Amino acid sequence: MGRDGQRAGWRPLARAGATAVVVLALAGRAAAHSGSLGGSVASASVPTWLVILTGGIVVGGSFLFTTLLTDHEAMRGVNWWRVALPTSAQLRRVAVPALRAVSFGVLLIVVATGLAGPTTPTQNFALLVVWVGWWAGYTTTTYLVGNTWPAVNPWRAPTRFVRRARDRLFDDASDGALPDRWGVWPAVAGLLALVFLEVVSPVGENPRLLAVVVLGYSLATVAGAVRYGDAWFDRVDPVSRVFAAYGRVAPLQRDFDGSLTLRLPGTALTEDPLPDRPGEVAFVVALLWVTTYDGLVATPTWAAAVEPVVSLGVPALLVYAVVLLAGFAAFLGVYRLAARNVRDTADTYVTARAIERWFAPALLPIAAGYHLAHFLGYFLGLAPALGAVAISPFAPPANPMALVLPGWFGSVKLLCVLGGHVLAIWVAHSLSFELFPGVLAAIRSQYPSVVVMVFYTMSSLWVITQPYAPPPFV
Amino acid sequence: MTDHAPTLRPVRDTAVPDGERVAARCPYCERPFRSDHGRDLHVGERHDPTDAERERYEAALEEERDELWLFHAKAVVALGVIYAATVILYMAVLGTFF
Repeated sequence: MGRDGQRAGWRPLARAGATAVVVLALAGRAAAHSGSLGGSVASASVPTWLVILTGGIVVGGSFLFTTLLTDHEAMRGVNWWRVALPTSAQLRRVAVPALRAVSFGVLLIVVATGLAGPTTPTQNFALLVVWVGWWAGYTTTTYLVGNTWPAVNPWRAPTRFVRRARDRLFDDASDGALPDRWGVWPAVAGLLALVFLEVVSPVGENPRLLAVVVLGYSLATVAGAVRYGDAWFDRVDPVSRVFAAYGRVAPLQRDFDGSLTLRLPGTALTEDPLPDRPGEVAFVVALLWVTTYDGLVATPTWAAAVEPVVSLGVPALLVYAVVLLAGFAAFLGVYRLAARNVRDTADTYVTARAIERWFAPALLPIAAGYHLAHFLGYFLGLAPALGAVAISPFAPPANPMALVLPGWFGSVKLLCVLGGHVLAIWVAHSLSFELFPGVLAAIRSQYPSVVVMVFYTMSSLWVITQPYAPPPFV
Repeated sequence: MTDHAPTLRPVRDTAVPDGERVAARCPYCERPFRSDHGRDLHVGERHDPTDAERERYEAALEEERDELWLFHAKAVVALGVIYAATVILYMAVLGTFF
């Protein structure tokens, strides 16, 4: 559990629980087992390139398979299936303030233990709650269950308190307005900045720094939300936007009339194209890219590529920043190019911009699947430590347990990535039938995006199957 | 079943390149199409068609059906070939083929 060479973000914690690390840094081989009742178990290893190729084949094959499903009414039957859940306005009035009070309390403990708690990562409440409990565990619930962030958001309660105080003190207090032409670009910039901070700074191993970052973020969020109202959470706060985006994948949805409904996972994405605001598509692409980037910088290939550049005298931080921005631009460029090609393959007058917005929701299951692949093992491995420390944040046990995950867990990660992509193929298929008349134009419109998705799958699988190597120079 | 279909706003979301003559336009929502075929399908699917429009819609559907059969034949063959190739590839790599 040494502090030697520990790196940014959620990774130091993964390294801290030595047993969990073994599982996370799975070597790039998935084992194919064949057994017999006789007790002899033969096992052969599938090389990494074949795992990656198989991923591409599965995604391409599932596209071919979905082209056989052309009954638009039946597709709508699946996509629009829903069960209304009973909700009580009264319960909501009680539960939401209670949740916000609890989450605000947790925020206070995070800051307190971050500033004054033990500095051993697996004993520190702040580090465990933020990285394991929140960024890995809670985020998972937003796409597997539903987006509860608007109810849980710990900055809502202080915002409300400050707004009330302001309204009482100043009679002419009014909300500021963000320029419309900015759209949601502030959130895109915020997301890239947060991930950059997570990758290059020791915010994942140093509880003091984490507490300072949380405090800074809290001040900025409360100040922004007081000044700009709900538009802040809608267009600027990257955290709220990430959860809102992931929440569209989830089975629990708020319906148009505000009632709570249970849907099939991912089907809510087939109902709304993104709003016509600058930056909406860029945010979804950024979400996809930052998860890839987060994995990419922890591969040996990255280390081998960066070392010669830095030895030439280029500042390491600059390399990390340039690759973050260039990769984002490349992902966005590839997506835009694909959207432009749809105009030809579908033989349509629909603009490339409208096509971009129309199909962007199909990228969200990919991002969710990739997040799950990345964080599920990490969360399960450190969940016992989180539980032990959460019971007594100020006097944590000396040696919290780490869960050892079985060897087949590596295959689960691959299945998460593939599952996300296959769901994305279905969503894109459904959306294309809503946009283009007939069957053939709808099918042909998907060619460019299928090529892009095969490319995304194979690059994600490549990153996932790489052994863990700490990001150098940061 | 209530209608949850996402909607396109033709004025905002479609554009005809300069100098190009629009082959067909939807009489209900003004959406331009590159062919009568696309327009006829769209009117039948998205609007409340007149009898003449319904007839054209059904003719367009019939045309789609033939083309779609050919497309599906190709897709099934492609799926079969990919499946077989993948199995053979695995056998070769895992050393039970050669």
